[in-house]
Amino acid sequence: MLIEMQQVEKVYRLGKIDVPALCGIDLQIEANEYVAVMGPSGSGKSTLMNIVGCLDSPTAGRYLLDGENVSHLSDNQLSEIRSRKIGFVFQTFNLMPRATALRNVELPLIYAGVPSGRRRQLAVQALEKVGLSDRIKHKPSELSGGQRQRVAIARALVTEPALILADEPTGNLDSTTGQEIMEILSALHRAGNTVILVTHEKELAAQTGRTIGLRDGRIETQEEAAQSAAAEQAGSIGLTPR
Amino acid sequence: MILGENILLALQSLRANPLRSFLTLVGIAVGIGAVLYVVVLGQITEKRIKQRLESLGSNVLLIRPGYSRMRGVRTGESVVNLKWSDAREIVSTSEVIAETVPTYTAPGVAQYKDQSWNTRITGTVPAYEAVNNDRPIEGHFFTQEETNQRARVCVLGATVHEKLFGNASPIGEPLTIKSKRYTVVGLLGAKGESWWNPDDQIFIPLTTAQERLFGVDHLSTILAQMRSSRDYDEALFDIETILRRNHRLQADQDNDFRVRRQDLYLATVQETTKEIANFVILIALVSLMVGGIGIANVMLVSVTERIREIGVRRAIGAKKIHVLLQFLIEAMVLGLLGGVLGLAAGLVFIRVMTGEALILPWNWIGYSFAICAGIGVAAGLYPALRAANRNVIEALRYE
Repeated sequence: MLIEMQQVEKVYRLGKIDVPALCGIDLQIEANEYVAVMGPSGSGKSTLMNIVGCLDSPTAGRYLLDGENVSHLSDNQLSEIRSRKIGFVFQTFNLMPRATALRNVELPLIYAGVPSGRRRQLAVQALEKVGLSDRIKHKPSELSGGQRQRVAIARALVTEPALILADEPTGNLDSTTGQEIMEILSALHRAGNTVILVTHEKELAAQTGRTIGLRDGRIETQEEAAQSAAAEQAGSIGLTPR
Repeated sequence: MILGENILLALQSLRANPLRSFLTLVGIAVGIGAVLYVVVLGQITEKRIKQRLESLGSNVLLIRPGYSRMRGVRTGESVVNLKWSDAREIVSTSEVIAETVPTYTAPGVAQYKDQSWNTRITGTVPAYEAVNNDRPIEGHFFTQEETNQRARVCVLGATVHEKLFGNASPIGEPLTIKSKRYTVVGLLGAKGESWWNPDDQIFIPLTTAQERLFGVDHLSTILAQMRSSRDYDEALFDIETILRRNHRLQADQDNDFRVRRQDLYLATVQETTKEIANFVILIALVSLMVGGIGIANVMLVSVTERIREIGVRRAIGAKKIHVLLQFLIEAMVLGLLGGVLGLAAGLVFIRVMTGEALILPWNWIGYSFAICAGIGVAAGLYPALRAANRNVIEALRYE
């Protein structure tokens, strides 16, 4: 089991009022699963993803990531977990504007303490995986939106994380480019990665293996999806399982 | 994270806002440049004073007129009571005074061909050369005979030579002072500028100066050379006795002249120079502080601009310490670049102002860098801490 949450709660304190954002989440995600998380704004979707991504700690409950209890870690330890186990893909790409694609992808490895020669090698490999080996010297401003998001995906997977967390990765892209990004994510899943996709589009969620629906801080629905279409497309990207 | 990565990152981010970075550097640069300039200038002055002290010896007394007084209030140095006869009597009467050199100095314009130069004309006697240890590098000092004849001959200081003749030899050339021709017989070596420029004067026989050029019978100074510096008290006593008698001073009247030991005087000048230097350094430190505040300000802006970036870095695995170091090193690089700029500007300024072969004050350059790095760290600490302690989730959401 990669992710195991038991009765996870999160309460925000606004002045003197306690605002519950998550009320007793029980969630299991296996390694090499492809899961979509859906829910309207205010459903606790973001809060849950922050906790899953180790950006935040739960107020109560237990969260095991890859067998490690990460419910009550210090800021430093959480950074360490993020560095080793989690790759983020954001809606707005969030690349360093002045750095080349290669430098952007190297960044997580710098914080992970990987020596520079090895760093370069891994970054080039990651960029190859997302089909950008001919753009490694380009800066984000010289790349299209789809290419930027692919750099961001390369940055997320360069540390070989246990979990790739994609928060509305197609939200800023047109539907054709968005579909390209979805295909890359499916391919990554096919290659053995665990991917969590946060989205509000049912069609995108349908391309994953399982959709978790949140409402008012609780898991409302969990449904397995027919995955054949996604699997078919993943094969065409040509990613090899690791 | 490796230091080199952070320095690279810092340079990259400074390059992204070149004007802002440059303006921030200037504050530090001005401070460091000023400190360096003052320190080097102090060293140069000290060196020159030492040279003067060595050439002067410690056994020369300087006699000058006293201050004239109006009802007990000092009004200026206009007393005209020092006479050549005073100088003659001191050397002939006192057993501890070996030589006296009377001088009369007044401003004057010297002309050579179409060049003219406003300088000081000093009338003196041939003994000036030996007592001041100031020997011509070309030609000779005027002689006793020339003095007796009130000859129109002159010896040039190095500055006058340069202004009127450039590099050409002046010996035997005619010089015009107050529409009379003087023949240049000697050229003195450069002694260098300190609190005044001794090279910017023309020496002529005292007789010529007093009787033919200026029409005066008093002196500006008398240099008295003691046989030994141990004779100071006795020499002072002799000089006072002779001058008070010659000037017919009553027992209740103050001296109308002043006697100063040259070496002590120079020591005082040296002290004063140091005090001025310390004061300027203090001002420069204030400038450095202001520069530091500038850095802090720019770093705060820089942190605010990059909140989102901080969030992303933290999300992909940067620890607080990484973010802290990133901004701290950026501030430090800013400070150090300011230091480099200031040192370069200071050195160029020194070169232009003094024309001295550069003495590089390595210890001060070292201090400067330490100070700049220190200012950078001090100024960057608070902004860097703010950056590091940002809430990651809020930083990621920041627009």
